[in-house]
Amino acid sequence: MAGSQKSKNRKPLTRIVLFPAFILAIYGIAFAISPDKAFTALMSSGNVFFTIVKPLALVFVVMVILNVVVKPAQIARFLGKGAGIKGITLSAAAGIISMGPIYAWYPLLKKLREEGAGNAPIAIFLYNRAVKPFLLPVMIAYFGWPYVAILTALTVLVSMAFGYSMSVIMGEE
Amino acid sequence: MKIAIAADGADLQSRVANRFGTSQYLVIVDLETGYFEAVPNPGFSGQRGAGMQAVVLAVREDVKSVLTGYCSPPVRGQLMANGIEVLTGLGGRVQEVVEKYKRGDLLKPGEDEVNRRSREIKIDRVTFVQAVKSSASQFSTLLPAVVGVILLIGLFNTFVSKESLISIFSGNLGLDTLWGACFGSVLAGNPINSYVIGGELLRHGVSLFAVTALIITWVTVGLVQLPAEIAALGRRFALLRNTICFILSIPIAIFTVVILNLVMR
Repeated sequence: MAGSQKSKNRKPLTRIVLFPAFILAIYGIAFAISPDKAFTALMSSGNVFFTIVKPLALVFVVMVILNVVVKPAQIARFLGKGAGIKGITLSAAAGIISMGPIYAWYPLLKKLREEGAGNAPIAIFLYNRAVKPFLLPVMIAYFGWPYVAILTALTVLVSMAFGYSMSVIMGEE
Repeated sequence: MKIAIAADGADLQSRVANRFGTSQYLVIVDLETGYFEAVPNPGFSGQRGAGMQAVVLAVREDVKSVLTGYCSPPVRGQLMANGIEVLTGLGGRVQEVVEKYKRGDLLKPGEDEVNRRSREIKIDRVTFVQAVKSSASQFSTLLPAVVGVILLIGLFNTFVSKESLISIFSGNLGLDTLWGACFGSVLAGNPINSYVIGGELLRHGVSLFAVTALIITWVTVGLVQLPAEIAALGRRFALLRNTICFILSIPIAIFTVVILNLVMR
């Protein structure tokens, strides 16, 4: 299934590498002007890369599992247009427990979108990534629990309205 | 129990359609109550993915059987994978086909067993290898954009210092909140960094409104990640999502601080 989707969504290679090539060109300029700082930037990127290896691996495993056991029609049923409260809850919970930087999750979101997931669940998933259960103790240490409780509650509530708005604006409703 | 009949018209006297995926209507009949409803088939246009749209409709309507003239093997596979029985080679009026179904005339001996077996998810070696290949392929198309984002984050971390960020806040409540949202949108990395920067900003007398806007946009808006998001979810979705999230961050920041002040009073 995913294989059949693959061919129709394939983009030209030049378009895929345009953005990283542009960034590499900036690095080239940076190395010419300030080699030390450019090297530090490259090292910093290396550190970022090593921190996302684990989340990327997790996402890959999730994608393999989804490719094996979940059919596109099931995705459409649970996360598609009109998936209802079940779809909203599922995407909000997934957003809250998802770990790592957002760009590690883009391949999975792309796959879900191609197989029938609606705009609202994807928007809700992305918005609820603002709630980080594992980082709550750190946030509480900085800002106090009343502040964290209010911000977290507002974030989850607003994500529902936001998902619905995205769905309407994108022309799904 | 509900069944769906691919039909050329919107009533029980219509003819059964030749193809399930591109039929004009799906007539959904509730066998217990006799109630029927003709739902326009989203796949009628015949465009790419028409069969899949019809499958989604059948799944959403929770039908147990699909009755049609012909059903392509991929669409049949999808229906069966969702526990829907597929009966093909049918013609005549919808009403007649429903009556035959009720009498059990359409079911061939042993067909239930065949359907049951095909519904079971088979996780063999071939399926697994295919799944790994599909995942790798889906992954590889986005990897260049992700690498670009990582390289860009390195540039930001090095060339934009925290001190220069703090110096921009002027003490104007509205403007500072806007700046907070802007910085959160541009900066990227672990959210812990936003708490640390937020704590520093508070220590330097910047308002909690601005800090909250920064914390919110840090995780909901991503200008640096935008090219990767566009590649994954499309330009319109990515731009709209980021714009709305940026705008929303201001009222959420205001509400959070106002409610906090009321609670702590």
